[in-house]
Amino acid sequence: MGEYNKPLPNINGDSREFWAGCKEHQLRFQMCKVCGHVRWPASIICPRCYSNETKWIIAGGRGKVYTFAVYHVAYHPGFENDLPYVVADVELEEGPRLLTNIVGCRPDEVKCEMVVEVTWEDITEEFSLPKFKPYQ
Amino acid sequence: MERNADDAVFGHFGAVAGYALAARRAMHTFRTGPETWKRIAVGQRRWANLNPAATMYDRPMTFEDYYNARWIVDPFRLFDTCLMTDGGRAVIITSAERARDLRHPPVLMTGVGQHNPSYDVHQATHLAGPTGAKKAGEMALRSAGITLNDIDACEIYDCFTYTVEITLQDYGFFGPGEGEDWLKNGTIEPGGRMPVNTSGGQLSEGYYMGLTPLSEAAMQLMGRCGERQLGPATHTKSPEIILCSDNGGILQTHSCIVLRRS
Repeated sequence: MGEYNKPLPNINGDSREFWAGCKEHQLRFQMCKVCGHVRWPASIICPRCYSNETKWIIAGGRGKVYTFAVYHVAYHPGFENDLPYVVADVELEEGPRLLTNIVGCRPDEVKCEMVVEVTWEDITEEFSLPKFKPYQ
Repeated sequence: MERNADDAVFGHFGAVAGYALAARRAMHTFRTGPETWKRIAVGQRRWANLNPAATMYDRPMTFEDYYNARWIVDPFRLFDTCLMTDGGRAVIITSAERARDLRHPPVLMTGVGQHNPSYDVHQATHLAGPTGAKKAGEMALRSAGITLNDIDACEIYDCFTYTVEITLQDYGFFGPGEGEDWLKNGTIEPGGRMPVNTSGGQLSEGYYMGLTPLSEAAMQLMGRCGERQLGPATHTKSPEIILCSDNGGILQTHSCIVLRRS
């Protein structure tokens, strides 16, 4: 594996737990203790009921493609060798939508509502990225 | 717009792809896609070909040209995306009373509406409509005391072809998925029954943000548009009322403005 030349996550107080989970190949999301809403991006209050009572849950890793786009232009040199690549908004079974990549199939095989499951890409010592592939 | 800075981790950058995500969801939700958008790209180009100030003035475009252009972010090809332009536009806004003494006949702003669904694009449920255009459009028409039937032309914020479709659809010119049929036979072109983006718009004239549509509407109502002037010169209705739009983010904010000839 050559030197990783793509942007890395910017960890902040809200997202630290999410990225720590990724390192252990777990998808961790906040669940509101009052209304049960599972949210992403991470935030201090529930966007639905405004409660700050929160617990972290581990999502099962399965979802479906809400929408996607196929990049034919690299807006960052790190992605030049990946073209064409798929950026997708995946709706997890637990509710949140995650911006991610679809891998493990050709771009022209990706469809909205396609069922996908998480697959982990260990990119550095510190970081693993949750990407998604067609559910087998 | 880029609230989630970690988008770049997955190679997601900028507005083209954000709108591409919206357009793809629309393709899944109702009947739309390149067959619809090519009519917007080519229709607006025909207006640009009448506008010496347009970047694409001397470059006609066919449906074949549209399909042959390279992909940027699928489902958008090159001609689905607006131009990048160095330049500026200005519109003076003042009271009707003050405007009476000015050199050009004033144009009256008779209705305004705004609606801002304002979700991060990944969490948004308005990508395939209704966008902010629906409520903003209703509000603008209501405040102007008119209906869609009173509109003679539209100047629509056209960062992408899909933006024009979803805006006209949310304003109520046609139902979801009926855009392709509505656009057939040159509806929005010179000679058409509902001219849209008569300067060529941001797709074919120049990208001056919301000022491309607004300044064109004002100029048309003042009768200062030369070869592309709405009326007998372009076999269209002489305009009394023009509807303008502006939107921001990835369909997160929307303004609708009704302009009327004084």
